[in-house]
Amino acid sequence: MKKYFLIIIFLSMHISSDMVYKFDNQADELRFNNLIKEIRCPKCTSGSLSSSNAPISEDLKLKIVEMIKDGKSDSDIKQYVSDRFGKESLYDPEFTQQTYILWFGPLIFIVIAFIIFFFRKKT
Amino acid sequence: MSFVLRVLVLIIPVSLIGLFFVLLSTENEYPGADYKIFEIPDFSLSNLNGTNKISNKDLEGDYLLNVWASWCITCMVEHPYLSKLSNNGIKIIGLNYKDDRSDALVWLNKFDNPYDLIIHDFKGTLALDLGVTGAPETFLVNNGKVVAHYQGEVNQIVWNEVFQPIINSKNLSLK
Repeated sequence: MKKYFLIIIFLSMHISSDMVYKFDNQADELRFNNLIKEIRCPKCTSGSLSSSNAPISEDLKLKIVEMIKDGKSDSDIKQYVSDRFGKESLYDPEFTQQTYILWFGPLIFIVIAFIIFFFRKKT
Repeated sequence: MSFVLRVLVLIIPVSLIGLFFVLLSTENEYPGADYKIFEIPDFSLSNLNGTNKISNKDLEGDYLLNVWASWCITCMVEHPYLSKLSNNGIKIIGLNYKDDRSDALVWLNKFDNPYDLIIHDFKGTLALDLGVTGAPETFLVNNGKVVAHYQGEVNQIVWNEVFQPIINSKNLSLK
């Protein structure tokens, strides 16, 4: 009996791992794996699509597979996601006027700290 | 120099705190509400009875689009308020989300049907295109364009805070 259970368990794992996402080539599969690491799960506060099995994440992953098969570029796919689930759904914020402070803020802070450090009068 | 430094040490943290305070306190949107305007995506899905296909052209004018499911507990909590809106003549289109058709029909028989029309989105394709993350969610639609989107239960407070101001400002007629 135990043996049958084990066989069923191993078979079910194999079936589920095989039927979920199918790609035409390995490059597409790699693109998919990178994309789902760069996109946040819309339902969870932190965690990428790859780490989430929420129903909405599963749907979004299937949509990404479909878009890759349709020949959409990575930026098209990211645009699709951020249009629907907000800019915060992408891990890397866009490089726009509103996000300059995010990208340059730490650098400016370090530069100011260095200036103060090197030009202070030694007492 | 040491005076400037002392002043800087004080000014920088205080101004950063001030900046974040202003940025965070000027958020005037109601939590869960989004006012991004976008068109209802193209779709063709069957109605809940499975008798007819529904597409964009069947949805005209101004209406509420409510995402619900029989498995969703919050939808049950929200339901009496939707019935009240419907009794006041507000047009509500239902988007039955990832639900078994028979379960949804039983649910409606049990709790009353506030919807003018129900789209059966079994796979959640239209919902995904709309940016739905779960149920219940409600969209305010003006001539094919979403003008407000609320995630969570619609009740009298949400209606007054989120939907009513837009309905008044855009002069929408949901009846």
